[in-house]
Amino acid sequence: MNGLIKIVWKQLGGIHLTVILCLFLVIDLTIGYICLNRHTILFAPLNDVGLMAWIRTYGRTNLARTAWFFALLLLLTLLCINTFVCTTDRVAVLIARRSHIARQHFVFKFAPHIMHYAMIVILVGYLCSYLFAEVLVSRTLIPGMPFRLPGSDIHITLVELDPLYYPGSRLPAFENRVLQPRARLRVVEGDRQRTATLNINHPLRCHGYSLFLKDFTPKRKEGGMNRSVRIDLTVRKDPGVPLYLAGIVLFSVGLALYLAEWVVLRNLRFKPIVATKGET
Amino acid sequence: MLTNSIHLISGHLLFKIATGLYGLSLIHGAFFGPTRRMLVFLLPALLANALVVAWRYWVAWPMLPMYMGPVVLPLILGGMALGARHQWAGRTQNGILTLVVIIALGAVLFPKDYYIPFLKSQTAWAHLFFWLGVAGRGCFLVAAIQAMAGLRKKNGRPAFSRSVPWIAWGFAFWTLSMFTGELWSYVGWGTPVVWDDPAITTTMATWFFYVGLLHLHLTGSWTARGRCAFTAVGGLMVLGLTYAPELGPFRWPLG
Repeated sequence: MNGLIKIVWKQLGGIHLTVILCLFLVIDLTIGYICLNRHTILFAPLNDVGLMAWIRTYGRTNLARTAWFFALLLLLTLLCINTFVCTTDRVAVLIARRSHIARQHFVFKFAPHIMHYAMIVILVGYLCSYLFAEVLVSRTLIPGMPFRLPGSDIHITLVELDPLYYPGSRLPAFENRVLQPRARLRVVEGDRQRTATLNINHPLRCHGYSLFLKDFTPKRKEGGMNRSVRIDLTVRKDPGVPLYLAGIVLFSVGLALYLAEWVVLRNLRFKPIVATKGET
Repeated sequence: MLTNSIHLISGHLLFKIATGLYGLSLIHGAFFGPTRRMLVFLLPALLANALVVAWRYWVAWPMLPMYMGPVVLPLILGGMALGARHQWAGRTQNGILTLVVIIALGAVLFPKDYYIPFLKSQTAWAHLFFWLGVAGRGCFLVAAIQAMAGLRKKNGRPAFSRSVPWIAWGFAFWTLSMFTGELWSYVGWGTPVVWDDPAITTTMATWFFYVGLLHLHLTGSWTARGRCAFTAVGGLMVLGLTYAPELGPFRWPLG
């Protein structure tokens, strides 16, 4: 039994499997491009409804156009397993040989492994995001009408828009158009009250929720069809965000270490990376 | 002042001039090799191209101009050709310039710059996503040209060795571009991936291709020529998956 586990473990961690999985991913994603390009409407709800709800509705009923996405999930799962097994094996060897490696080089030796583990963290973060995120799509706020965050006693009210307009006339289509609506919000939590600004690309974080500005009116300085003030929000509580942000930071650190070792230590021909036991 | 003048003579015309000058530097390189005189064409071409990029940025700022890749890629590759002209063989130099001319011609004949920018591109993440991505594509294409030189020789090892640093830097830029794209996606839409944009799949496909290539390099199981072929295919993939989708319908250049 132990022998069988060892064989399976070894096969799962093979670097050739990594290459094959990567090539399958390239083919699958290329097919995905064609499907997504022709049927964007099938995939856009993935942004809001979550993975399981999407699979039950759009995914299952349009299998000919969504099969590539299911293949993508399978291939990414296999790649995660392959990466975990391969990296864990190598980290174990590295730790066992730590006394043979000069201390200043030991951290650089970890760089590729940091990147590999970080990729797993990012993908797990995505999965958490698509499985467990609570999303309230298109909540509309008008001035003076409070909105209560679900499961809390926090009330959010739109006070006003303080818009920033496109300056000059370089782009005729944007003349007098709002570039940044800058929505002033009043956030009331029990007895406490504060004001906050919600803007494009500047979400507001509140009690574990994040509020994103989806749309707004008015869009022009004067005239236009609709002068009434309104903002549309997407409200999300997403447990995957810290994970994938941590993964991104971790991967970047690993990448920086790897490049630093490559550029500084190899190109400038510093001391050899493997030192004798006496040197450490 | 300068950008206003460009506005008058039209960015399109200036880009056509840049493409013509790239073509002349290629012709010069093909006949006389990469001599100093080639710079007579290459430097003004780069200057004209840089002005077009600056003009499009000036018009759209603080937003990101749309479909800029085909206009910026020749500038990046031309700059690389200029910077590394002493290290590269004449054939490599000409290979890069051929690519520059093809990419620039594509942008002239199939422009897609009529889309106006959108509000959510007003963030540093969007600009970083774009520039890091173009730098990554430039490195991958240089690696492909180096590798193609290796395919013509019996021993492809030296050519592949020359392409490895470009693959590594391309991978680093491409990865950072993906990360900044994810951060933009998060602050703008609240999700790590925006599924309305099909480009997400080609971006990921390119990343996985080069992950595969780097791992293949580590196995050491393929011959150097095999790895050169893989790298050359990567260049074609970069053009097919990340450059071609940024082209629009055909437009007669003299129209």
